[in-house]
Amino acid sequence: MTLSNIVYYEPRTLTEIFKLLKGLNSVRVMAGGTDLLVDLKQGLIDTRNIISLHKIRELKGIEKKNNTIKIGALTSIQEIISNSLINQHIPALADAAKSMASHQVRSLATIGGNICSAVPSADLPPPLIAAEATVDLKCLGSSREVPLSDFFRGPRETICRKEELLTSIFIPLQPPNTGMSYKKFTPREATALAVASVAASLTLKNGVIAKAVIVLGAVAPTPVMALKASKSLTTKEPSEDSFQETALTAKEESKPISDIRGSIWFRKELIYVLTRRALDEALSRAQGKLE
Amino acid sequence: MEQRRKEHRIVVLKINGEEHSVAVKDGETLLDVLRGRLRLTGTKKGCNLGVCGACTVLVNGEPKNSCLLLASSCEGVEINTIEGIAQGGMLHPLQRSFINYGAIQCGFCTPGMIMSALALIKQNARPSEEEIKEALSGNLCRCTGYVRIIEAVKNWKKYENKKSPPPQSDDLSQFATVGRSMPRVDAADKVTGRAKFTADYYFENMLYGKILHSPIAHGLIKKIDASAAEALPGVKLVLTGKDVPDITYGVSPARYDEHVLAKERVRYVGDEVAAVIAVDEETADRALNLIKIEYEELPAVFNPMEAINKGAPQLHDRYKDNINTYVDHHFGNIEKGFAEADYIREEEFVGNHTYQNSLEPHASIAYWDNDGSILVVYSSTQVPHYVQYMLARVLDIPLGNIRVFRPPVGGAFGGKSETSPLDLITAIASKKTGRPMKMVYTREEMFLHGRGRHKQYMKFKIGVKKNGKITAVKSKIYLDGGAYTSFGIVTAYYAGSMIPTLYQIPNYRYEGFRVMTNKPACGAMRGNGAPQPRFAFECLLNMIADDLGIDPIEIRLTNAMNPHTRTCNDLDVRSCEFKATLEEVARKSGWSEKYKSLPPGKGIGIGCGGFVSGAGYAIYRGQVQRSSEKKPETFVKKAVFPHSNAIVKISEDGTAVVLLILAAEIGQGAATVLSQICAETLGISLHRVRIRAEDSDISPLDLGAYSSRTTLMGGNAVARASRDVLDKLFAPVSKMWACASKDLTAKDNHIFYKSDKSKVIEWAEAARKYFNENGPLVGTGWYKPPEGLGGDYKGAAVGTSPAFSYGSSVCECIVDLETGKVKIEKFTDYHDCGTPINPKAVHGQVEGAVVMGAGETIMEEIIYDEKGNILNPNLHDYLLMTIKDAPEIFSGLVDSYEPEGPYGAKEVGEGATLRFLDT
Repeated sequence: MTLSNIVYYEPRTLTEIFKLLKGLNSVRVMAGGTDLLVDLKQGLIDTRNIISLHKIRELKGIEKKNNTIKIGALTSIQEIISNSLINQHIPALADAAKSMASHQVRSLATIGGNICSAVPSADLPPPLIAAEATVDLKCLGSSREVPLSDFFRGPRETICRKEELLTSIFIPLQPPNTGMSYKKFTPREATALAVASVAASLTLKNGVIAKAVIVLGAVAPTPVMALKASKSLTTKEPSEDSFQETALTAKEESKPISDIRGSIWFRKELIYVLTRRALDEALSRAQGKLE
Repeated sequence: MEQRRKEHRIVVLKINGEEHSVAVKDGETLLDVLRGRLRLTGTKKGCNLGVCGACTVLVNGEPKNSCLLLASSCEGVEINTIEGIAQGGMLHPLQRSFINYGAIQCGFCTPGMIMSALALIKQNARPSEEEIKEALSGNLCRCTGYVRIIEAVKNWKKYENKKSPPPQSDDLSQFATVGRSMPRVDAADKVTGRAKFTADYYFENMLYGKILHSPIAHGLIKKIDASAAEALPGVKLVLTGKDVPDITYGVSPARYDEHVLAKERVRYVGDEVAAVIAVDEETADRALNLIKIEYEELPAVFNPMEAINKGAPQLHDRYKDNINTYVDHHFGNIEKGFAEADYIREEEFVGNHTYQNSLEPHASIAYWDNDGSILVVYSSTQVPHYVQYMLARVLDIPLGNIRVFRPPVGGAFGGKSETSPLDLITAIASKKTGRPMKMVYTREEMFLHGRGRHKQYMKFKIGVKKNGKITAVKSKIYLDGGAYTSFGIVTAYYAGSMIPTLYQIPNYRYEGFRVMTNKPACGAMRGNGAPQPRFAFECLLNMIADDLGIDPIEIRLTNAMNPHTRTCNDLDVRSCEFKATLEEVARKSGWSEKYKSLPPGKGIGIGCGGFVSGAGYAIYRGQVQRSSEKKPETFVKKAVFPHSNAIVKISEDGTAVVLLILAAEIGQGAATVLSQICAETLGISLHRVRIRAEDSDISPLDLGAYSSRTTLMGGNAVARASRDVLDKLFAPVSKMWACASKDLTAKDNHIFYKSDKSKVIEWAEAARKYFNENGPLVGTGWYKPPEGLGGDYKGAAVGTSPAFSYGSSVCECIVDLETGKVKIEKFTDYHDCGTPINPKAVHGQVEGAVVMGAGETIMEEIIYDEKGNILNPNLHDYLLMTIKDAPEIFSGLVDSYEPEGPYGAKEVGEGATLRFLDT
């Protein structure tokens, strides 16, 4: 139990956090703690210091400004599920949030934590990437905004530097006639990690697909955009055939591993099925047929 | 920034409206602080990784896993725990609803379940079924199948009125107490967090222990250096193989093959190598890492089919070719039987390796009492007597010097049916340290300790006539046993012996091989050995029915067992309403409209099963005494001593009854059922009966909760002891009224003269008078299985029982044809469990068995890597069904009466599992 030697910090301002991040060695930031504490208890990671964010009010909450929805990194998954802005503008994100873990875990876990843990099967990154979200990385005296699609480097690895903190997530409001969907496969109905997942976004213009984004989860070291598959749809009319073809391309683009949750073969087959289903639902939403 | 180096900080926690100032370490979870420092033990530790939900508390009204919260971060919030829900001695309506709907079995998940449900109903007083499932999806229950939990939450408002009665029940019993769905006698303790499980107990000056497990699958221990561990401040004792007795232990006397700690050799990843005893768990844990062990690694084998090959690594010298148990049974003449068959089909099947995963982890506490010669062990066990027996053997002390205390057990399912390393190590270490000792397994250690379901590689061949009548059955089964014998001999025999109980099989051959592999030992999991062969048999029977164009229910009716039959393997079937269960389940499920006419992706199937109502013979032969005193006695075809014993003791004022019996309440409802039998027989109200079944110093021997034996055997002992009381009590009353005892009857808390209604005396008054004249009013009773059970062949004892249960289930499921995902939609079940003592408890057992069986079939399996490490030793990756996965269940009963059972009752808990695994 590597938790026993932990030194716990509970700063009250961002500045204090940045100072701690800079000053301490062997340090981890804790948001909800649902990944961090589990990993520490299982001895999967080791750290001497934990900096808790939970006293920093400004990191919580969801707001709309201009054409962007801003979500504070410390916003809990449960809040995302029940938030009206999210449900109105990007219901696929609420769907992804609902599919996570259990009520208890969702009321602890946060969006920032789900992103920064960088677990390949994480549920929120695929729809966020499909929505072209960006994240704000701050440190003492500077800040940078990067597309979420550039944030992940590998399993549990991100571009976030040791002295940096992910403070908020920005989601641009989607253009008219855009629909999004998130589909995942789990062997049970609650408290299960995705074996494979797909987020899809479709924007229609005059009956044809003006833009498509397909993001795959749990089938590569990071969530990945299925670029070829996404491109293959632009300027096409949505149809069963085109979705089928795109799903096959997405399947080819996925690079899963075999583990206890599923084999390479199974995961690739899942990507094929889930892509089709995600596209179908995204189309319905784009056409205003859902909700 | 200043570096803090202080060990503890003071935090002020507001719990149930009261402020507690506590010194905590930075890394301590809220759960550990609640339980360890504040002794609010109603909040349970089931997995410690945020999956099981047993630790759920409310933080500012939101349900959260207290194992995922650091106590240091909980200042300034309102924390609510189960202890604060009942107010002013009054239960919350939700708690009363849980009690009345039968939503509780072992009670270990109950506090967390109630906290999650409470958070829901505070937001939404009339939640829909979907909303309830969503809110409770983070609370695992291994016992109930969730059905009654959903009902309890849905209907909680009915209990806002304090006088509202229990839900309507359709009990049609001729009796006052027996046959009625009485609420559990332990329910109020379990909904309030008052029920103390083993790990909830605390003794002053207590020490804590942790086990060092082998990191390799097979090897010789060359050198152990524990000096650094011993030098760590707070460490009191390090035990290794040289410090424990040379005496081996296990389950079956013929194959005691385990040492308390490995002597020279480790045989699987997880084998116990050393134990550290320290002032707290954390120090003990830290010290484990300081023990240096040199191993000489040996080649290991993980697959039984490889392990039996010549040249394969050998696990034990005594088991040649790694064959631990070989069974060769042949009844009738299968050559002749297959020659008579019009149609023969043979197929191979594999049955999953699953794990019981009771929500409560194993725990033991030991101390030495009196002058230090009396050992007291608190243990989370199904079998207090066998723990007593095995401690006597290994420690070589008289059985009489050992007192076993069994607190409520948070589920067991066979996983707690043998003496655990915790029982033994705490006993040895507390002797050496002179202090109370406590040890609790982590969830991972539970998996390492093992004793789960054997993986079985099965080949079945069935021959039938044109009309489906079975002429011969042949099976060959390889059981993957793991590294030690555990219950395995019995498992290997049960894999064969239960097959001929369901159908009339004239000719039968079974060959079984239990094979040693370098993995945790497999043991007796719910249905011990029988479910997988039953699955194989039922599947093959369905295939044959399809091949011949016979309806699967028809082929079963053609072959179904009849009452009062001696099976081909010499088992005596008495009551048997198997055919009725088939007919009822076909009717209720709409079988004839659905079978073969459902759209693609939907399926319907039938499976049947049944089980013993208590093993006919005890696990050890001979008398109740330390096994080292005497060699095992030769087998005789009768019980040497009574398997269940009861004392019924009446309070001196006559108003209360204390029922003493060592029967183990493990969630199945034994305490309630036995209390009902006691009340019924005495003719008094159930609430006057208190059962004391925890303490071997107080209650007489009962062999425990295994082989579904408690209702029948314990029930008979209780009924007899109660009648003994009545015999004594009636003597002075009959004298007073100048009549014979047989003219008297006791009911409704009164004693009546049958033929003269004017003569009546209050039961308590009569008992008081008895005490004045005769001293204590005490009755005793005991039960021995009938003599002569079983045949004369080797292994004939396994499978014998005074009675057998029967049942049939129809399952409907949906398959996602693109992903292969199976959703089990609905189960319809009919059961012949004799005449039930408590119908609601029976349905609860069936529902729990459905969900466990369904889960085992579609999502549970222990997975190993190529070095013998378990890859999923946690509830994140070993998947138990959640409330959202559980199917809709209908559980029905057929009329039946078992002459050998108390009030006509027999078993339900294990037999049900068989059909759900095979449906």
